[in-house]
Amino acid sequence: MEALRAAFDFSDFRPTERWVSRAVAAFLLVFPLLPVSSFATATMIQFLMFSLYGMGWNTIGGYGGQVDLGKAQYVGIGAYTTAVALIRWDVPFWVSMPVGMGFAVLWSFAIGYPLFRLRGHYFAIATIAASLVLKDLFEVWDFVGAARGLEIPAHRFATPDFVRLIFKEDVYYYYVLLAFFFGGVLYMNAFRKSRLGYQLRLIKDNEDMARSLGINVHWAKVKTYAIATAFVSMVGSFHACYIKNIEPEDTMSLDLSILIALMAMLGGAGSLWGPIIGAGILIPLKSYFKEWFGARAGLVGMDLILYALIIMVVSAVEPRGIWGLVERHRARRESA
Amino acid sequence: MPALLEVTDLTKVFGGLRANDGISFTVGAGEILGLIGPNGAGKTTLFHCITGFHRPERGTVRFDGRDITGLPPHRIARMGMARTFQTYVAGGDLTVLETAMVGCFSRTASPSRARIRAREILGFLGLADLADLPIRDLPVAGQKRVALATALGTEPKLLLLDEVAAGLNPGEIGELMDAIRHVHEERGVTLIVIEHVMELVMNLSDRVLVLDSGRVIAQGLPQEVAHDPAVIRAYLGEKYAARYLEEASP
Ligand SMILES: Nc1ncnc2c1ncn2[C@@H]1O[C@H](COP(=O)(O)OP(=O)(O)OP(=O)(O)O)[C@@H](O)[C@H]1O
Ligand SMILES: [Mg+2]
Repeated sequence: MEALRAAFDFSDFRPTERWVSRAVAAFLLVFPLLPVSSFATATMIQFLMFSLYGMGWNTIGGYGGQVDLGKAQYVGIGAYTTAVALIRWDVPFWVSMPVGMGFAVLWSFAIGYPLFRLRGHYFAIATIAASLVLKDLFEVWDFVGAARGLEIPAHRFATPDFVRLIFKEDVYYYYVLLAFFFGGVLYMNAFRKSRLGYQLRLIKDNEDMARSLGINVHWAKVKTYAIATAFVSMVGSFHACYIKNIEPEDTMSLDLSILIALMAMLGGAGSLWGPIIGAGILIPLKSYFKEWFGARAGLVGMDLILYALIIMVVSAVEPRGIWGLVERHRARRESA
Repeated sequence: MPALLEVTDLTKVFGGLRANDGISFTVGAGEILGLIGPNGAGKTTLFHCITGFHRPERGTVRFDGRDITGLPPHRIARMGMARTFQTYVAGGDLTVLETAMVGCFSRTASPSRARIRAREILGFLGLADLADLPIRDLPVAGQKRVALATALGTEPKLLLLDEVAAGLNPGEIGELMDAIRHVHEERGVTLIVIEHVMELVMNLSDRVLVLDSGRVIAQGLPQEVAHDPAVIRAYLGEKYAARYLEEASP
């Protein structure tokens, strides 16, 4: 009950922040009604998906300070659970999504339990390795289509199909995802003010002190990792229905893992708005760069270079990302 | 007085160095034990062994009737033992109030209840005005006081303080002493206090335990210990101690 109240309570933010976020929420609600191209809508869907990935990443990576570069494996688990369940047994999305989250969380325990014995860079590297191992397994596993991947036969279903989440028009996907997005923001708003949220922030600062206060640091990390995983897997399930064509190379790639982490770090790790800001900047850049340059020979990878540059600048100037810059600026203005 | 803490033959070795060497003592419920000794005597190491941060090579620690030797720190903490750290320096983005809340979270999962408890504790430690500052903006002495408040939030039976008065001016030491007395009397907390500020240890402690080179060289009432030749030798060195003792004797 208290958690529910906390989710809807944004009173600790400044009035300007509250107004900006209301304006953004209103814009997101009416966006599809504006005369926009289908390309713009597709970009917005990507933005919402990556915001959610980033929110998940932010629990363990931001509040918990454990840099996780293996989130793609959980996108894969969600996407494959939903796709396999739909193709083989015609299982509704609303069933396969929570089941996928369950699988992902179980896998996250198997991965997280040993990995959280590692620290710093070793942890980050180990998450990459774990994700790549799972991807390799999927690439040779015939049951899930091996390297060819899976295709959801969308033409077989009468659209709009809200049970299987199969639509012809992107606007349906947009609104379903937007509901997830608002749910994600509310969840994160409660999370950051929860017992676990505060405990994690102390763990990030000083693990020994956290231990001395009775916190089981290892278990707190494993638990938070599971929460992050559930977020990512949920969006992975959505991704399967939206894209309809999934293969290990794109749902579980290292690129995806790194992009998720980069976005949250760019926007501001450990803040509520950070992942949204990061996705809001990088996703349009990425899409339009692909559109403009991607196809031309020799220029493939321009987008990669660009966001590598951005992240280098940000980490040199302000490790807490864009949101950190905003806060620093505000502190300076207030002390002046 | 029933023993709350019972340390027997505790030994901790770092390479060739015996940082704790066969230490035995007990602390009764409701007592304040002062723990003193020159730099490097092994005081902090002893705290680490008692609270589970170090695993001793030999010896046992019994707390509240149970053998806790080798248990992980969080398990020991949950049994009612809290501590502060000699070298705590905060770098995170938590405020003073939020830090204190984390201590209270060991007793409640409710943020609003933790907030109320934390404010109360900050209040009687004279930290109420600092509640909304980031803890990293405080001087080290202030951060240590917040760490004390946070430890109190766990509602411990036994509280181990490692040099909380370091860096305070005489006025602040007086305030801290009152606060510690208050904790002891009002909340019935048993304390072990490591301190180089003699005024504080000697005034506060029911009993004092003196370590040197990892061993207990004296224990007893504060006045007894202060005049113990072995203690004076440990603090002043052989040569000066001999001269001092000669002058002091009638
Ligand atoms: N982790 C460690 N590894 C190796 N040696 C250590 C370690 N911790 C402490 N020591 C050594 O053990 C001895 C006791 O150190 P300890 O910190 O317990 O002393 P102390 O009595 O707390 O001193 P101070 O009053 O300066 O805080 C010192 O010689 C120290 O160098
Ligand atoms: Mg010490």
